[in-house]
Amino acid sequence: MTAVLDPAATGTRRTLARPAAAGIGAGLVLLACVAAGVWAFASLKINVPTLVDSAGNAADFASRMVPLDFPPLGELLGLVWQTLAIVLCATALSVVLSVPLALLAARNTTPSAPVRMASRTVVVLARAVPDVVFAIAAFRIFGLGGMTGVIALGLHSVGMVGKLYADAVEEIDEGPRNALRAAGAGRLQQITGAVLPQVLPSLVATALHRLDINLRVSVVLGFVGVGGLGYALSTAIGRIDYQRAMALALVVLLLCFAAESVSGAIRRNLLHQEEPRGRRRFGGRSTRALPAAATTPAEPTSVSVAAVPSEPRANSRRISHRWDARRVRRCVLLVLGLALLVASAVRSDVSPAALGRGLDSLFPTIGDFLPPSGGGIWATLFADLWVTLQIAFAGTLIGLVLALPLGTLAARNVVRSPAVARTFRTVILLVRGIPELILAIVFVVVTGLGAVAGSLALGIGSVGLLGKLVADSLEEIDSGPARAVLAAGATRRQVFFAAILPRAWPAVLAHLLYQLDVNIRSATLLGIVGAGGIGYDLLNAARVLQFDVVTTVVLLILAVVLLVEGVAMWLRKVFA
Amino acid sequence: MTEAGETVVRLEGLTKRFGEGDTSILALDDVSFEVRRGEIVALLGLSGSGKSTLLQHIDGLQTATSGGGTVLGTDLAAAGPAELRRLRRRIGFVFQQFHLVGRLTVLENVCQGALGSLRGPRLGLFTYPKAVRERALEGLERVGLADWAFQRADTLSGGQQQRVAVARALMQEPGLLLADEPVASLDPESSGQVMRLLKDIGQQRGLTVLCSLHQVDLALSWADRIVGLRAGRVVLDVPTHGLGRDDIMRLYTDLEEEVVLPASDAVDADAAGAKASDGDEAPTGVSLEEAGRR
Repeated sequence: MTAVLDPAATGTRRTLARPAAAGIGAGLVLLACVAAGVWAFASLKINVPTLVDSAGNAADFASRMVPLDFPPLGELLGLVWQTLAIVLCATALSVVLSVPLALLAARNTTPSAPVRMASRTVVVLARAVPDVVFAIAAFRIFGLGGMTGVIALGLHSVGMVGKLYADAVEEIDEGPRNALRAAGAGRLQQITGAVLPQVLPSLVATALHRLDINLRVSVVLGFVGVGGLGYALSTAIGRIDYQRAMALALVVLLLCFAAESVSGAIRRNLLHQEEPRGRRRFGGRSTRALPAAATTPAEPTSVSVAAVPSEPRANSRRISHRWDARRVRRCVLLVLGLALLVASAVRSDVSPAALGRGLDSLFPTIGDFLPPSGGGIWATLFADLWVTLQIAFAGTLIGLVLALPLGTLAARNVVRSPAVARTFRTVILLVRGIPELILAIVFVVVTGLGAVAGSLALGIGSVGLLGKLVADSLEEIDSGPARAVLAAGATRRQVFFAAILPRAWPAVLAHLLYQLDVNIRSATLLGIVGAGGIGYDLLNAARVLQFDVVTTVVLLILAVVLLVEGVAMWLRKVFA
Repeated sequence: MTEAGETVVRLEGLTKRFGEGDTSILALDDVSFEVRRGEIVALLGLSGSGKSTLLQHIDGLQTATSGGGTVLGTDLAAAGPAELRRLRRRIGFVFQQFHLVGRLTVLENVCQGALGSLRGPRLGLFTYPKAVRERALEGLERVGLADWAFQRADTLSGGQQQRVAVARALMQEPGLLLADEPVASLDPESSGQVMRLLKDIGQQRGLTVLCSLHQVDLALSWADRIVGLRAGRVVLDVPTHGLGRDDIMRLYTDLEEEVVLPASDAVDADAAGAKASDGDEAPTGVSLEEAGRR
């Protein structure tokens, strides 16, 4: 071994890594993305004069929306219940459809590749077709009412729920299943015995998460004929009755907050129960924290296991679980949940007859949407698609500019004061709770119909998710390197740039690209309420029954989203 | 009914090769031996010497490249998937990592051992027949854990979980009990309990027990007979009576048969095969260890 360095060689050695072609390309693409955002920002005339102009509008708007005009309490509660019923049924429908699809899509439960592909395709299609389109189609069949919402939200949700369920199934510990296989259990027995019990908590958590999302979306779908709060809101806006509209928007906001805190509490409770899950590979009795001592019988102190009487005493023992308080509570909650679901189904007019009607007119309705056609307005469509893209880029840029400092200040390992971090966390959480639709309506009213409203709504809306993701990715990185740099005498700022940012950056980038993807879809959706872009064409085409144009719009958006996803995948790979 | 002394396992030239061509790994190389009813046999060897692969072949979980044998009267080479499944129902298998479903109760985990003899899928303790639940509780009594029947399985310690796994295997009323490094992840005290349990149950029921181990001293005091594997080949097959520790240690240190395969290929083969056991306290022979890895 030659440990001596050649002094002559050190002079000619590279001290910087040779730049890689992929790295340069990816950097250029990123720069282009930022440039696109800035340019969109400028060309949409989101600037100080516009905002100053809007200030006058805002004052005007404020005077027009007070006093808030709430509907009578009975009517209001009726609307809330109608919305909740639709959302509950839709989520239940998505779960019922997603479980078999996920089992057929997961590598470990379905060995046949073609079957897996088919199942994955169904899930991807459900996600690719926007819920608005499902709603437009369902409205053709079921008309104004609950079923339209249940079918539209339920089918579109399969795209997310089915994918997450399939991931959960693929992530299970294969050990128990192999043990059952080794004991001669059949495939179905292995699935119910070892797969379902392991994924059950994540099934419930995912369903609750989707419930929150569906609640928000159901309000948007009110604009295309899904009953409930959203429909009342859309008619109020149609009448330019801002007092009623803002009152309803406030109710929606509060309902979303309430739903999120309830489902959040349930999910946390669920995760808390899952805590002792970690498999103890080296676990001896000495290292183990005993569960609540009162309920835990002491293990026989005698080490000699063989001394345990082999005389069967089973006849005198109970062979089913005792009805203790926890079990009773669990069962009561389960029964209440099921009762709520049945009541929702009744309220949303879910019935075998309705489903039969739906199946009957399924193919004629699909026929209405095919083949896609431009309807003679190709130029308009492309121009508006362009505007939608601008809105998405500008919105993401606004979100990023606001979320980076907010998210950094909310990360506990960056900010010294826990109180500051907590405060910014709360701000982010509150922003996150506001549905984008409400933001869009407010901005539409303040800045007038058009792209500026959409960009601002998306920007503010993105702050919630992006800020949280930035804070989480900063907090998730392991503290070892930061401590090492700190130990070497670095300042806090040096630690942040040397040991925290470089490691959090790929995750932040991934989240940013994801947000761009989400924003393109959202920009389409917000167009429906008048926030500019191609969404407005979508709504118009549906109104004049040009369903082939609806399909065209969907395909255009899909192509753009796929393109962005492809670029995002490549960028993630380069910067991983 | 089987007679005492009857052959339970007969292996003839069992050979298993993972992968194709130059990069393939010979995991089992012409393995032949017999195990008689009631015998308590320890399988020794380095990590990757083929112990787990051998046990999985005996349980019909893998199929041999060539050769074969008869287990509980079933011809391994000739049997189809359905027949292998019927064979597996009669063989208990205890894993190193216990493989319990952590969220389910201890009793339900034990009941799952009876799935092979039940029809249809089961989810929830109440879906198992009462007789099965009673038998499961007897099994838990046998391993000294009846008081823990309604706890979640993941609240138990490692040693307790392994005893639950033994009770689960007993639900099959097996004619043969296989154990793959059952105490490799347990502390010495729990190890002692589990090994004693396996031996006592074997002796009481006249059950054949075949158990892979890597603690030489434990194998010497526990088994009637030791089969030593190295690089997939049987290099030792002796009764433990009168055997000393040094006779066995040759299995680990004597490197007269050099087997060298590129390590990178061994990784692929590792993925192809079953889970390799980690944390072996093999004294020497890195190349040997890498080479034999499934």
